[in-house]
Amino acid sequence: MGDYRYLFSQLVRRELRRKYKGSTLGVVWYLINPLVLLGAYTFMFSFVLHPQNIRAFPIFVMAGLVVWTFFQQSVLYSADALIEQGALIRKARFPREAIPAAVVAVQLITMCALLIVVIPIALAVRGTFGPDLLLLPVVVALLFAFALGCALIVSVLHAYFRDVLPIVTAALLPWFFLSPIFFQLSTLLKSHPAIRAALEWGNPVAPFIELMRGILWGGGGVTPGRLLYVVVAAGLSLAIGTTVFRRMEGELAVVL
Amino acid sequence: MSTGSLRPGQIVLRDATRSFSVRADNARTLKGVFIGQRVAGPPPIPALRGVNLTIEPGETVGIVGRNGAGKTSTLKVLAGIVPLQSGEARCGGRVVSLLELASGFARDFSGRENILLQGALYGFSKAEMEARMQTIIDFSELGEFIDVPVKTYSSGMFVRLGFSIAAHLEADVLLIDEVLAVGDEAFQRKCLRRISEQIAAGATLVLVSHDPGSIERVCGRVVVLDAGRVEFDGPTAEGLLHYHRLMGTEYGSGTSLRPAGDGGPLEVAELELRDGAGHTASVFPTGAALTAAIVLRSSRTLTDPRLVLELRGEGGALVHRTATPVELDPAGTALLAFEIGEVPLLGGDYDLSVGAGEGGDPPALQRTIRFSVPHGDGPQGIVDLRGEWRSLAAEPARR
Repeated sequence: MGDYRYLFSQLVRRELRRKYKGSTLGVVWYLINPLVLLGAYTFMFSFVLHPQNIRAFPIFVMAGLVVWTFFQQSVLYSADALIEQGALIRKARFPREAIPAAVVAVQLITMCALLIVVIPIALAVRGTFGPDLLLLPVVVALLFAFALGCALIVSVLHAYFRDVLPIVTAALLPWFFLSPIFFQLSTLLKSHPAIRAALEWGNPVAPFIELMRGILWGGGGVTPGRLLYVVVAAGLSLAIGTTVFRRMEGELAVVL
Repeated sequence: MSTGSLRPGQIVLRDATRSFSVRADNARTLKGVFIGQRVAGPPPIPALRGVNLTIEPGETVGIVGRNGAGKTSTLKVLAGIVPLQSGEARCGGRVVSLLELASGFARDFSGRENILLQGALYGFSKAEMEARMQTIIDFSELGEFIDVPVKTYSSGMFVRLGFSIAAHLEADVLLIDEVLAVGDEAFQRKCLRRISEQIAAGATLVLVSHDPGSIERVCGRVVVLDAGRVEFDGPTAEGLLHYHRLMGTEYGSGTSLRPAGDGGPLEVAELELRDGAGHTASVFPTGAALTAAIVLRSSRTLTDPRLVLELRGEGGALVHRTATPVELDPAGTALLAFEIGEVPLLGGDYDLSVGAGEGGDPPALQRTIRFSVPHGDGPQGIVDLRGEWRSLAAEPARR
């Protein structure tokens, strides 16, 4: 028997089609959508509000937004993916993980495309990159693993309990504002170290953002502590996600 | 896919048990779980209760039974789509299933893309599917519709495509649930031919159907399920007889065709079928004796009471109709029998209906009862013509 690589690529294609169904511009939308979003945020926070005196603020914001958008979209889109693909699940006994994995893979493609746009801009603004740039693929891979673990949990939970997606949606908004996307934890809350530590280490997305910002924007975000943290976070997320998914996937054809 | 020590095409069900909970809202909510909300619903319905079944490679097995007997559950368990609660279900080799009409299809993909997708679901690579593509398209006879999104397909087209794909994936075990019935007859014949080719090549077939005809044509073995248990497991002819007997218990002693109290001047109060020994029966083999016992009741004096008896075959085709004047006793009742010495009917289900009334117009039918004639190895059709073959060569030039 063959393996399921071709199935995975088919699912990725389906997911692409699902997101951008019927649009003539097709692939271009993968970039236009997040770029417009990035542009709007950057404009608002760099020029209109401009709360902090941070150099090259657009790059600063973009680095955080790239990470956050990837994470948020992965979790949101994977939530109802199993329900969407119920017709396939009721057909054959293929590995069900392929479905949320395909959703996250599509988001990974989008993130990589964004990075390809952002990196030259960052280079133009900064003039040079440090050796940290070599860490970019590592951080992206770990972020993918982390998001995949979350996507596995959210997707299988939502198949059984249909209020998971609204709960996740509601949680993502405050999570967005608590994440260090528009601000820098190192310069903030100097008088409240406990809150700062909670924001920095209690939010598993924060170290990913700080690392991405360290690589693209600079400012010494790349620290051994953060690297260790994201390795552990990615491993834990993937381990827990796989375990939960394996435990619950059996009844999928019944509950869908 | 874990096949253990099974050979390709071998199937083992050991003490297979599975029940399903039935709820109006089949999805629960986290909120409900956290606040400990327990909705009192009906208890889970057992679909399989300790089913044991061993099928060898190359066998063709038909599963029959009433609605809810566990037929489809058996297929879903064998396909590995629904897990068992206890017991064991194993299939050797590649298991390909045709269970639901639209399952396995991406509605916004074209027929061609769906061929690739379904192949992928069974672990085929792109090259392997491209190699089969033209054969599948030709078999499906979908023509230019193959490049149209399948959401525009009719159910017949879904069946064509679904079967064409399933029949070309080199299955070791083929699981088919009723769906074949949707295609037109020419396509059904083609499917049956294709299935026999695959069986000849060593594949195992498990077919669920309500149509004894198609089971008879395809299957060498029949499993009768009733209420989640194996009621019978053996050769097809015997199995179908068993099935008819099982269904016969549901036919009862005649169903009224009109609401109670709405009887005309003359009411068919009772209708019963009896065999040669005078026992109530619902299965009559070709050549056996059949008696329809009828009780008529009238509330007033009638001048010209008449009775009509009608026999219809599957699909409602009229087989026989006869009418007779009746004589009522002073109490206004009459007991009659319609006797058939040797049932000249061939395998199938038949409805015998009786009506009674007065004078002129043919009376409306009031009661109906169903019986079945088991399919035999001999002639096929509705009527046994009792024709005989003889050779004409022995008597030349008779003028």
